[in-house]
Amino acid sequence: MTMADRAPALLDAEESRRQARARAERIARWALPLVMLLGTLWLWDRIVAWNEIPHYILPGPGRVWDSLTGDWAMLWEAALLTGKITLMALALAVAGGAGLAILFNQSKLLELSLYPYAVILQVTPVVSIAPLIFIYVESKTAGMLLCAWIVAFFPVLSSTTLGLNSVDHNLRDLFRIYGATRWQKLWLLQLPSALPYFLGGLKIAGGLSLIGAVVAELVAGTGGVGAGLAARIQEAGYRLNIARMFAALSMIAAMGVVIFAALSLLAHLLLRKWHDSAIKRET
Amino acid sequence: MAGNVGSDSYESHMGVIRDSYDAPGLRLAGSVRFGGVPLLADVTLDLAPGGWTCLLGPSGSGKSTLLRLIAGLDTGADFDGTIIPSDDKDLSGRVAYMAQDDLLMPWLDLRGNVALGARLRGDPVDWPRLDALVDRLGLSDHAAKRPAKLSGGQRQRVALARTLMENKDFVLLDEPFSALDARTRADMQDLAARHLAGRTVLLVTHDPMEAARLGHKIYLMENNALSEIPPAPGATVPRPGDDAAMLSHGAALLERLRT
Repeated sequence: MTMADRAPALLDAEESRRQARARAERIARWALPLVMLLGTLWLWDRIVAWNEIPHYILPGPGRVWDSLTGDWAMLWEAALLTGKITLMALALAVAGGAGLAILFNQSKLLELSLYPYAVILQVTPVVSIAPLIFIYVESKTAGMLLCAWIVAFFPVLSSTTLGLNSVDHNLRDLFRIYGATRWQKLWLLQLPSALPYFLGGLKIAGGLSLIGAVVAELVAGTGGVGAGLAARIQEAGYRLNIARMFAALSMIAAMGVVIFAALSLLAHLLLRKWHDSAIKRET
Repeated sequence: MAGNVGSDSYESHMGVIRDSYDAPGLRLAGSVRFGGVPLLADVTLDLAPGGWTCLLGPSGSGKSTLLRLIAGLDTGADFDGTIIPSDDKDLSGRVAYMAQDDLLMPWLDLRGNVALGARLRGDPVDWPRLDALVDRLGLSDHAAKRPAKLSGGQRQRVALARTLMENKDFVLLDEPFSALDARTRADMQDLAARHLAGRTVLLVTHDPMEAARLGHKIYLMENNALSEIPPAPGATVPRPGDDAAMLSHGAALLERLRT
């Protein structure tokens, strides 16, 4: 809708009220969280100052900021390492999860044999598997990837499986009448139908692969591959450098938000033309 | 009612209906059971060659089951009998299908949807023919849109374009117009009748007026039985919407359904 289309509608009192409400909500969407953040930082700062809490117990936000800027080079390097493991694990989770979902969909035998073990792998806490992994897997990177993969692949697998099985029955009939082959049905019908489900699973897997990477770092320690953000948190903790712990933590949180936002954007771009979840209604 | 169903008079009208296209008839004969419970025993359904056969009946009477049997789709029923085109050639690959649901792929644009059949067969798509067809159905302004941006009537026209693109002898229509508003429904009936002239069409419907308007042949399905009913007078379909004989025929069909 262009501004010219809108102009006459503005004359209508109710319409203009509705638009004012929409505008207020748009502003509130980013202004309120910002106010909340500033308020919390202020309160945090005041609590530390008023109670004279020593910085090795709770540093104020100013100190955390100083640590973030002062140790930037080190933290950035750590973030790159953690980010690399996270993204590689996510890529493997996508390949593994979607690949298994397709295999399960094509072969009932395979699904019946393997699905229970996928569930077991998912419900066993990765912290308890990780130490074993690092005994048997020699490469630190491979071990970390394996840990993160175990946590991240399942949402992709289960949501893609659901998507592949959720094809409209009428569309299946149509493909049947058109004499579509099994592969055509998979490529041209099931995979596009499963895409929205897959993307939903992917969003969850993005967060989980970061969690997996962090857990793996904590278990693996820093030897060999350098230290990621989680390892930096652990190390700073040993040194009672609480400000750096907070600084590294905030970077992990920021990384999680960036991954989520990127995957949401990807989902929106892929679905905006046709899927109900992403189409803007004109009315 | 002036309708005369004698097959002779029917055949004599065919010259009017037949376009350049000339599809054979089709006969379904046999019994249908649902898990041991008979739905239809020893019935014969004869599709008028190159014309419209309407299968009329209340919801849940099993009309769609017969259509799905001809289409070769799963019905959950056991069919014991034969489905044979009158030219004795194999039926597979000669059927096009259109349902109440438009069955469009939401991720393909309008042209992609119309081209689906050729794409699935691995044939090169005849784009000029496709675009001409889209144009004839008044859809050229929307050619690049995806189904979500089209109205219900437009989507059903796309489904019709896809069915026409298939260029099959037999066209199976499973209540394709019943979800449309009255005006759009009448428009769609006109379009379908005009463009499907000469094909052997089976239209499953619960609307007696639709059967009166479009049927060269009408079967009524109720109480686990199939009976043939004379069509409205006039061999050219669609019969005009204000044709008095057609209207009274439709009303009589409705009364027949209600008894």
